[in-house]
Amino acid sequence: MATPLTVKRMHSAGAPPRLSRLAAWSERHFKWLLVAPAVVLILALSIYPLLFSLVVSFINYDFQVPGHAFVGLKNFERVVFDPVARWSLVLTAGLSGVSVAIEFVLGLAVALTMVRNFRGRGLIMSVLIVPLFISPVIVGQAWTLLLQRPFGPTNYILSQLLGQEVTIGWMTQSPWLYVSLIVADVWQWTPFMFVILLAGLTAIPPNLYEAAELDGVNSWQAFWAITFPHLGPMMLLALTFRLLDAIRMFDTIYIMTGGGPGTQTYTASYYLYTVGFTQFHLSQATAGSWLFLIFTAIVVAMLVRRLLRAEPV
Amino acid sequence: MSAIRSARRPKGRSLPIGRILLLGFFLVFVLLPLYWMFNTSIKPSDDYLAIPPVWFPAQPTLVHYEAALFAYRGLEGLINSLIISLAATILSALFGTLMAYSLARYNTGGQHLSFWVLSQRFLPPIGIVLPVFLIYRGIGLYDTHAGMIIAYTVFTLPVSVWMMFAYFRQMPKSMEEAALVDGCTRWQAFWSVAMPLAAPGIVAAAVFAFIACWTEFFFALVLTSRSAFTLPTVFRAFIGFQGAQYGEAAALAIVSLVPSIALGVLAQKHLVRGLTLGAVRG
Repeated sequence: MATPLTVKRMHSAGAPPRLSRLAAWSERHFKWLLVAPAVVLILALSIYPLLFSLVVSFINYDFQVPGHAFVGLKNFERVVFDPVARWSLVLTAGLSGVSVAIEFVLGLAVALTMVRNFRGRGLIMSVLIVPLFISPVIVGQAWTLLLQRPFGPTNYILSQLLGQEVTIGWMTQSPWLYVSLIVADVWQWTPFMFVILLAGLTAIPPNLYEAAELDGVNSWQAFWAITFPHLGPMMLLALTFRLLDAIRMFDTIYIMTGGGPGTQTYTASYYLYTVGFTQFHLSQATAGSWLFLIFTAIVVAMLVRRLLRAEPV
Repeated sequence: MSAIRSARRPKGRSLPIGRILLLGFFLVFVLLPLYWMFNTSIKPSDDYLAIPPVWFPAQPTLVHYEAALFAYRGLEGLINSLIISLAATILSALFGTLMAYSLARYNTGGQHLSFWVLSQRFLPPIGIVLPVFLIYRGIGLYDTHAGMIIAYTVFTLPVSVWMMFAYFRQMPKSMEEAALVDGCTRWQAFWSVAMPLAAPGIVAAAVFAFIACWTEFFFALVLTSRSAFTLPTVFRAFIGFQGAQYGEAAALAIVSLVPSIALGVLAQKHLVRGLTLGAVRG
């Protein structure tokens, strides 16, 4: 041990290190070599496909129409003037907006009840986060089992509670199918809000509340004057992250309603998937996904960059 | 903690009843679908349509598990999922750690490179999956384990990079600097000094990458068919009204959710970092 260390010390004291040419080269480009595998992979499987799809969206690439002729903006027009596409965008915004809002309020409420320590808190914590580790496919399946007529017990339970016969088609009847989709999303992702907001709540210095109490401030005032402003950045972060995931909603729809009845539960992702993989209008689907991508990019550019820059680490 | 309690709930006003009700309601909400699924998975088919619903099957059975695993090829899906998720997790954690170290210690590429990686996390999968499908079909990666491993590695990389990025930034660099002064090469300082110190962070990042792969559906739906299909895609067989496959669906769901829940609960200390890509320290 002693000898190599001495040698190393000599090197650092000015003696030229005895490195092979390869080692010297890799030492010089160390920071770029570390980055290379990840960057190459992302370029190959994300950036290259994106560029490729940009090309595809301007040509004819359709398993039902032969040839790859340049068609200009025709693919984009097909999407923009498709009423189903527009409906899917509205539905995506509506479903994700409502789901995220409910998740936020419910998550905040549960987080507030969990700030203080009490017996069994650890166990409850472990139970509450379970939905985060379940595949959305299984979440959809679980709610299907609970809701679907005639198998699911939901209508029976409601009948008992309300004292009258309830026969709701939770997967087939508007507006109930939207309720079902939102409930499944809320079930899975409220813990997300809860966990992040709880982390924010526990980071608020307790002495602020002590001071407020000395000043005779009631708990509502304390919430608006202390909790809310301190939790602000965390709320923004939780909402942004959640919203960006919610607008991709696909898995639960695939399992629970299959987009139906008709096209009533087509979200943007589901619409594009159907156009691409069941109708095989691939170029129309890529054109549509580029439009969707631009929507998302605007949100990302506006919210995420500022958010993470503002975060004191 | 007690300070918060007294501050937020002035004496004389007791609200714990409301708290207990809310928590209780939410616990039931979380547990009900899980319990009903478990209950369905061990329930004989005769009990499916019973009124009132059967909450505790008198004669529990494992026939649905058997059918789900063998008749519906659930076991194959399970094995595929295991191979693909494990391989992708190892690659993602390794490459993610390498990149994160370079970003954290050498500020490689400035903010642009790190935000570029982050932006990948927010790309809607539908934008990538169509062209990847076309490319995979062209080069023979469609419906192969290798294709899925590559896809999942890339899909989990942004989270791995950002989790490790945050981890390295809050790890003191003095040890590595000492090693460099002692004449270690940068590689040695990284591999034999920083990596062992970062091991807990790497394990946490790997756990989240694994859960992400294990539960992923969309890529698998599009990029696999009869041979490399993963566990979540097996659920396609149970869609629709045609039958009494509730038990099979429930059984397969139970089999599939046990590993990811176990891992997730074990790693819950790192959950906040995992969910926020390291932006928030848990």
